[in-house]
Amino acid sequence: MRIAAEHLIDGVVRTLVEAVLPDVASPFARGQLYAAVDALRNLRDRIEPRTDQAEEESASAVAALERAVAALATAAPAVADRLRAALEAAPAAPPPARTAAVRAVLVDALEAIATLPAEVAQAARRPLAEHLGAQALRDVAPLKPSMLGEISRG
Amino acid sequence: MDSGNVRALRERLERVLARELGAASVRSVARARSTEGFSQDTFRFDAEVARAGARGVERWVAKREPVAGLLEPYDLEPEFRVLHALSEDPFPSPPTPWFTRDPAVLERPFYVMRCLPGEVPIPAPSADGSGPFADDERRALGPEVARTLAALHAVDWRARGLGFLGDPGPGPAAAARELARWEARIRASGLPTEPALAAALVWLRAHVPSCDETTLVHGDYRLGNFLVERAGARSRLTGILDWEMVHLGDPLEDLAWCASPLWRAGTELASGLLLPDELAAVYATAAGRAVDPARLRFYDVLTLVKMIAIMQTGIRAFNDGRTHDLRMAIFDHQLPFLLLILAMTLDFFGGGAD
Repeated sequence: MRIAAEHLIDGVVRTLVEAVLPDVASPFARGQLYAAVDALRNLRDRIEPRTDQAEEESASAVAALERAVAALATAAPAVADRLRAALEAAPAAPPPARTAAVRAVLVDALEAIATLPAEVAQAARRPLAEHLGAQALRDVAPLKPSMLGEISRG
Repeated sequence: MDSGNVRALRERLERVLARELGAASVRSVARARSTEGFSQDTFRFDAEVARAGARGVERWVAKREPVAGLLEPYDLEPEFRVLHALSEDPFPSPPTPWFTRDPAVLERPFYVMRCLPGEVPIPAPSADGSGPFADDERRALGPEVARTLAALHAVDWRARGLGFLGDPGPGPAAAARELARWEARIRASGLPTEPALAAALVWLRAHVPSCDETTLVHGDYRLGNFLVERAGARSRLTGILDWEMVHLGDPLEDLAWCASPLWRAGTELASGLLLPDELAAVYATAAGRAVDPARLRFYDVLTLVKMIAIMQTGIRAFNDGRTHDLRMAIFDHQLPFLLLILAMTLDFFGGGAD
């Protein structure tokens, strides 16, 4: 996720206090709203990012990159060597830092492969594409159904 | 707009409206901040206008430049100039008489346009899983949406003084310019590059199509920006809204945007109206223009990339504290769904599209 949980909670609190509360007339509802704000304020410092998702993504991406490097070893050894070195340089921990580093190698690999002859590129791109597809599914899996309709309708 | 200065803003707006409408008096009798528009501050108001002794209520909309948001940096003037140029046209765009940069009125630049009749169905699935339109409404509105898009692309933009939007010229320039524009926005968001997005950009760079004609391109022609009057088989399109992304370019960009999976409202239908192939066929007939599948596919992918860029811009604005609109924050949870659609569109599951 691109917005830190603490920052998101701060934003929710701010919206509740500044944009919602002024339009709430019922004393009971106002009390409940203040209780929600109080709960959120105390929740914000008790949240730790999950590391299992980052670890799973890193493992999948590294496996894909290793397959891509193997596919490039003969036809594009310089690219293969560069990607292998970048992978080795990725920090082993903490998990979010490792994931960020591996993602950067993945982006580099995709752009480097695009410069290669089509038959070489295709073999190297395949494992990366398969990882991206699987990762897209993993990223969506924990998300709740969108409330965009309700948000738009008000 | 904080509640403390609403009265002062309303009074200033009333004074300006009276002057600009040439009316003896204007009174704002209703003002509500709209929820549909994500990128600009949109306010609706009814004005009691006295003209030549007769009083009447006219419905207007003010669109104000936001401080931050999805399409920053903002400049309302180009879209105002387009809407103003089309104001006397039968094309269903809202008559838009004036624009001001004067901060003394609403603190930021804004323009005022006529509030057209109708409602704006939104591109979200309904609770019962049904689409946004009944069958008879779809049969009326679907072809009209396609024909209206063809009419938009037939606008003589040179004659209407819209050359300031920048003619990319024939060849690959139109597609290349749009790709560069959205890549720049992605970079400007400052967020780490999503690998799936990087893969899409690589694919787009390798598939930039040529186009030999330049038309006006709405840029956001889709369910959610269609104003419609529902009347069964006599339903009609009464307005096309949200011209923030208007430019000159390849007309198929609009067709792909309109047909995107992003606005199908839980149906298989482009903008909840027609099957994508049907939309393309009706459009092609109305426009007298063949729909090249390769060009359309480029814009199918670009549509997703544009939306990702827009969401990332909103996320960045929220992260920076330049907006506190929680609708920007929820894009953090929407983005993975877009990346999944991108993965399907580019067949990542089958090893990636050539």
